[in-house]
Amino acid sequence: MSHFKMSNNSVMKKIVYLLLLACLFGCKDDLDLKPFDRISPSTAFNTEKDLQLYVNSFYPILPSGNEIVRGDEMSDYVVGRSLSNYISGSFTSSQATGWSWGDLRNINYFLEHYQQAQTTDEAKNHYAGVARFFRAWFYFDKVKRFGDVPWYDRTLDVNDPNLYKGRDSRAMVMDKVLEDLNFASENIRSSKDNTSSQITKWVALAFKSRVCLFEGTFRKYHPDLGLNESAGKWLGDAATAAQQVMESGNYKINRSGAAELSYRDLFTQETPNSDEVILAVVANKSLRVFNDANWYYTSATYGNRLNLTKTFVNTYLNRDGSRFTDNSGYNRVPFWEEVKNRDLRLQQTIRMGDYKRDGVAAPPDFTYTYTGYQPIKLTLDSKATDGVGENNNSLPIIRYAEVLLNYAEAKAELKTFTEADWNATVKVLRERAGIENAPYPVAADPYLQEHYYPNISDPALLEIRRERGIELVLEGFRYDDLKRWKAGKLLEMEYDGMYVPALDELYDLNEDGKPDVSFVRQTPASKVSGVYYFLIDDSQFKLSEGNKGNLILLSNLERSFGDYKYFYPIPFNEIVLNPALEQNPEW
Amino acid sequence: MESKLLLKSKRGSRRRCSLLLLAMLGIAPIEGFSSGHKAAAIGSIDAINYSGGDKQDGSVSGVVKDAAGQPLPGVSVALKGTSTGTVTDAEGMFTINTAGVGEPVLVLSYIGFESQEVAVGNRASFDVSLQEDTEALSEVVVVGYGTQKKVNLTGAVDQVGSEVFENRPLTNLARGLQGAIPNLNIRMTDGKPIRGAEYNVRGTTSIGAGGSALVLIDGVPGDPSLINPNDVESVTVLKDAASAAIYGARGSFGVILITTKKPSKDRTQVSYSSNFSVNERTVKPKLVTDGYAWAKMFDEAFYSWNDYKSHPQKANSVFPFSLDYLDELKRRQEDPSLPKVDIDPATGEYVYYGSTDWLKELYSDYNPSTEHSLSVSGSGNKVDYYLSGRYMSQKGVFRYNPDNYRMYNLRARGSVQAFDWLKLENDLAFTQMSYLFPMLNHPSNTPVWRRVSDEAFPNAMLRNPDGTLTENAAIVFGSFISGNNQSELDRVQIRNTSRFAANFLENRLRVYGDFTFQHLSDTETRLYTPVPYSKKPGVMLERGESKMNESDDKTTYFATNIYTEYEKQLGRHYLKGLIGYNYENSLLKSRYVERDGLLNSDLPDFSLMNGQNFTLRGGGNEWITMGGFFRLNYNYAEKYLFEVNGRYDGTSKFPINQQFGFFPSASAGWRVSEEPFWQGIRGAVNDLKFRASYGSLGNGNISPYQFLETMSVNKLGMVINGARPDYTQKPNVIPNGLTWEKATSVNLGADMGFLNNRLTASFDWYTRYTTDMFTVSLPLPSVFGASEPKGNYADLETKGWELSLGWRDQTGGDKPFSYDFRFILSDNVSYITKYNNPQKLISTYYEGMRVGDIWGFETEGFFVDEEDVTNHADQSYIRVSAANTPLPGDIKFRDLNGDGVINLGSSTADNPGDQKIIGNTEARYLFGFNTNADWNSFFFSAFLQGVGKRDFWPGTDNSLFWGAYNRPYSWHPEDVVNNMWSPENPDAYYPRLRGYVALNSRAELTVQQSKYLQNAAYVRLKNLTFGYNLPQSLVTKAGAASARVYFTGQNLWTYSPMFRITRNLDPEVIEGGDPEMNSGAGKGMAYPMLKTYTLGINVTF
Repeated sequence: MSHFKMSNNSVMKKIVYLLLLACLFGCKDDLDLKPFDRISPSTAFNTEKDLQLYVNSFYPILPSGNEIVRGDEMSDYVVGRSLSNYISGSFTSSQATGWSWGDLRNINYFLEHYQQAQTTDEAKNHYAGVARFFRAWFYFDKVKRFGDVPWYDRTLDVNDPNLYKGRDSRAMVMDKVLEDLNFASENIRSSKDNTSSQITKWVALAFKSRVCLFEGTFRKYHPDLGLNESAGKWLGDAATAAQQVMESGNYKINRSGAAELSYRDLFTQETPNSDEVILAVVANKSLRVFNDANWYYTSATYGNRLNLTKTFVNTYLNRDGSRFTDNSGYNRVPFWEEVKNRDLRLQQTIRMGDYKRDGVAAPPDFTYTYTGYQPIKLTLDSKATDGVGENNNSLPIIRYAEVLLNYAEAKAELKTFTEADWNATVKVLRERAGIENAPYPVAADPYLQEHYYPNISDPALLEIRRERGIELVLEGFRYDDLKRWKAGKLLEMEYDGMYVPALDELYDLNEDGKPDVSFVRQTPASKVSGVYYFLIDDSQFKLSEGNKGNLILLSNLERSFGDYKYFYPIPFNEIVLNPALEQNPEW
Repeated sequence: MESKLLLKSKRGSRRRCSLLLLAMLGIAPIEGFSSGHKAAAIGSIDAINYSGGDKQDGSVSGVVKDAAGQPLPGVSVALKGTSTGTVTDAEGMFTINTAGVGEPVLVLSYIGFESQEVAVGNRASFDVSLQEDTEALSEVVVVGYGTQKKVNLTGAVDQVGSEVFENRPLTNLARGLQGAIPNLNIRMTDGKPIRGAEYNVRGTTSIGAGGSALVLIDGVPGDPSLINPNDVESVTVLKDAASAAIYGARGSFGVILITTKKPSKDRTQVSYSSNFSVNERTVKPKLVTDGYAWAKMFDEAFYSWNDYKSHPQKANSVFPFSLDYLDELKRRQEDPSLPKVDIDPATGEYVYYGSTDWLKELYSDYNPSTEHSLSVSGSGNKVDYYLSGRYMSQKGVFRYNPDNYRMYNLRARGSVQAFDWLKLENDLAFTQMSYLFPMLNHPSNTPVWRRVSDEAFPNAMLRNPDGTLTENAAIVFGSFISGNNQSELDRVQIRNTSRFAANFLENRLRVYGDFTFQHLSDTETRLYTPVPYSKKPGVMLERGESKMNESDDKTTYFATNIYTEYEKQLGRHYLKGLIGYNYENSLLKSRYVERDGLLNSDLPDFSLMNGQNFTLRGGGNEWITMGGFFRLNYNYAEKYLFEVNGRYDGTSKFPINQQFGFFPSASAGWRVSEEPFWQGIRGAVNDLKFRASYGSLGNGNISPYQFLETMSVNKLGMVINGARPDYTQKPNVIPNGLTWEKATSVNLGADMGFLNNRLTASFDWYTRYTTDMFTVSLPLPSVFGASEPKGNYADLETKGWELSLGWRDQTGGDKPFSYDFRFILSDNVSYITKYNNPQKLISTYYEGMRVGDIWGFETEGFFVDEEDVTNHADQSYIRVSAANTPLPGDIKFRDLNGDGVINLGSSTADNPGDQKIIGNTEARYLFGFNTNADWNSFFFSAFLQGVGKRDFWPGTDNSLFWGAYNRPYSWHPEDVVNNMWSPENPDAYYPRLRGYVALNSRAELTVQQSKYLQNAAYVRLKNLTFGYNLPQSLVTKAGAASARVYFTGQNLWTYSPMFRITRNLDPEVIEGGDPEMNSGAGKGMAYPMLKTYTLGINVTF
């Protein structure tokens, strides 16, 4: 036994050595590992730089370039390949979208933590102002879309009963939006941003004029809300905010360069024109940040083949300031004639006359257009980006022209609009557009009343609305404008295109000597090279007078805009999850 | 070699033999075991009884008996190195002619006995006693932290040896393992040489955290795709919880143990093998390549989708198209004397009238690969060593700038018996893999197949008359031709393991330790340079970006194990205990650099770039696991077997209060055939064992930091103040009270041997309950503003079984023929038993759902006439054209719920509208069949593998299957073109030709439906080998010990019921896309699977 013991001892010794050796291989026993490539809430709000880093995450709340390109897809003055089934189809609450709240949580999370920063109150308030600007933007979008929405100014816990609360009233939410905008415009730093890409005091004020004008006119023209009494207060705020921007002297209407380009240049340059563009979604070729305007507008399949209707193009004034629609027979003028001597913005908005792409004459191309009024406002004249989403033109989100129009409209709605106001706003825009006479309007335009705004008799207000339509066309304002003016019925307007004098004729749309299009019931056996044969099938495509007249498009497409459509439905699933939300009427 | 010597000297005592064997097993993790291998014992002096007499006139005779002295009839006696042979007669007698053979050696073999080689020397006659083959009894398998005799196993464990990989040029070990072990489910989604595999054991693991099997190489986690398949000795799969429990939380879904080769004993052995292969795609789609035929159908498909109202003006994005063009194309086709390329006078641009076979331009017909491998091993007095090296290369399938795979392996292993009780070993492995892969220069970075299917029209052409690329060529794969558009992947791994093994107390107590260091560097550089092309004579244009990016991942990994084992036999009681500790630490550091603006595309270097757009990112993660583990084995007379395992495991991947868990398991076995009452039938059923096990494991297969509130910093996609700034944002919401997922499994099994183990069978049945899976919570209202925190909300049940059958036998005769078969079959199904989906929406999991179920409509047929359309249920939910006007030949769907409307109902299991479960995507009845045969120096083996049942929905953007029904301008496969509905062919498979109906949402071929669901079951001849062992005389003259030549074919033959519809899809490549590129390609549009023809040679010195 003793022998066994001895060997046991040496065994133990050896084993101990082995174990010691093994432990030399190093075993740290701390299982608490923190990520080294991510920060945590305790370290994310220390310095002013940290605040800047965080607020950068709010900027994607602004519309993207591609969203701006598509901004007017649902409007009365364009016709496209297809129509949103919100207007044409059987849209139901189970297809509803837009009820997403991640951005709000992100903003509120910031507002709950930014005070941790070791920096000046001025700096903290600046960033809080930026955050509250974006919260206003967020809620303005929600109210526009849904009407009443629940208001939250803090992040919610999984078990928070407020997840299941009902909606707060529009009045309450919009008051909060205004509070945010006031805080933003009073606390955000006031230096002008020459890159037109950052939120400044002036951006906040310009946006405030937009929000207040929307809310004021919406309340005024939707008396069923029972808020029309407060409309005047909102319109007053709109005018004041716009006036603050106007009086700052930071901005002016761009008149640099040729008169034929000073308008379109605002949309086709990589560097935003910071004289007029207050805020832009900036494209940058060397940073490879693009939009897809060319692809969208010059593909038969990728984009929606959006083009303007004749009814709308008719509203462009003649160069001399007279109305095109006052000409006798204005509705039977062929394309190449009607586009002559018009508001210079027309030739900067659609293909016409001697418009060239890559130096080659480019008449309206019926591969992409239906009406003949083919937009170029947001596209580039080079074909290089036609098939790819690589447009490097920065697109305005807010520009000074809008501020002027906001001011004019608010004042007109308040019935305090003066000739001086006219001269400072609409007249400035018309002058840039080469219109020789732009006197204060004294007579209502019967054309606008007949086709667009039968309930408006104020000549100035009608002209302001004309101006807004033309100046801001395709920039994504129209659907909101129709909503606030309660003019949604315009979305049911017949789609019309250019005047066709006769079938089976060859037409040279840009008068360059080469025929471009022929309207036919049957494609002829022998075709002329370079001519597009537009098939009049009398169902999708008709002529207003049978064998001639204005193109009538897609009249087979059912369109309807009942009053209930001023508010989107809340997604069906959300009502199931929280019945207290209550669906909007008739959805 | 001590073990073998010991074995011999203790001849006759089986128990002592096995004891000694067991003693040896202890050091097996170090010494290793060629388990499962039948080593021919070289006849030694005590195996031969001299019977006197001299060798006369060149013939030798003798008697063969068994250990009990009974003569053995039918024993095969062969003269080694010749084709001479005979069999023993009824008295066990044989005579064989050895004339002309210098030093004759007889090889005696008989099924159920160990074969023997006997050197004749100068004797003319002798007796030979053959030992009963104890392999079945002594066979050991590798288990966690040790080995175990197969007969004593109580868990579900399966093992294959190196024969699975022999004579097969494999780019990845996984390709060789596919189908080799039942319920080791390896699916490789395409034929790319770098394609890794997910090692799944026994079906669906977890729908929450996920998880696949833990793969260990010589006991330490490692990447099997980086090891030299020729170095592998055996692969073991631990399937049930009881076998895997010793690995704790990472073994919850099975463990795969890869054991590498050990030094050969006693002698120095040098082996060289080399092979050369020609590869060819398994599937070569037959597509319409006639320009006019294609264009006509393109027009038709476009026209019909647009309700026969408008013709296309372009073929996809850039190719102009019109009816005039179509007429002209026809004219040119009919008159071959007209030029194929013209210039449009209006634009000055080229107009093409080609008939291009684009796939022929994309792919080369054959691509070569080659492999060289050398190993040197041996042992001396107290040292042994094993050195091996391998070079494998494979040129890829493309015609221009083809992909190129190269792999270098080096391994050096040696050990020193420092003292009687201590052995030290070091094992170093180095691997370098590089892979060049051509890429498109397209902003969405889709795989080439998507662009080819979208823009390579037969009437378009590759090159202009002046040799420049056309615009379509520039889009599809011009970047391959112009070059400098490629990914270069470099993976380097250095791995070193140092081990010691010590034994005490007459080897009853053993201590082992190992330490592994591993460094893995994974670098991928992607280079993009614009592709030049031309649309007008003399005018060059460019497409694409000029940029380069590089991702660089470095992983440093340490692992150490220390464990000790004690065993004792007391009479018929046998006891073994093991206790140990394991620690692992892995640190990943990542870096990503991107910049644009190459100054010179031939000099791609970051210092020669001037773009403003650059990215520099870091990242990585770290994890630690540690655990203490134990195992207790007890058996009584090797008849009643018990085992208990457990592990106390900790991981840094879990929240602080959940970092540790204890995972126990138990198993038992009963060897019925050892019972006295069985003796009567042992002749027929010589072995029968029942096994049962139960265990519960936590699932640690998750990525680190999931439970921490973190905020990442990223680059904004917008320009602010002239730059793209960084941003951070709100952290994810972290749940409270998370705990481990749990996998509990029950296993029942039986092992059987019949006819002296000629026939063996093994069957296992199991159920695995995966509970508390980390999945979605009940949905919260969207105003919450973040994704709902996940939690332990779901349960899953997987049931399955596996079967393996083996047969081996040998004929007598002077040229014995020996052969074996092995057939394996496995199956499993999984059901969701708990999931947060109270509405039972069928778009996600729901309670009671079988995993993989496919919901769809029932195809009733085609509309016969207008009346049929009018009378049928309202089918407007399903689109057949732009204006949705159905015509005869469009698909008619059955109104299953009889409500007069074809729709989705509320898309719930209770109200699915007109949908029903039409199939299931899970692969069922996976099988493998392997056979080997040897005859007269020739050898043959074949391996079939397949899936017995699997449903496959072709899906959108699958132009190989749908042709013009997908995108009208896409490929038009002949299988589709010849099988389309027309008034004359109303019984065709495909409906009226309409473009986009297999692409647009809710369109008639986009909605899942019964008729077009494919049966993707298949059987594939994975491997077929013929070989010849060169005659010994010849080999010896060359100074070698043995040499063989062989021919191997892989994936030579395939059958799938799907082939009745289309031969354009390989049943193994139906997942779609290319994981290294962005998604966007349809199913089947992936790197082709390859058929390989190989000639090889093995020489051993």
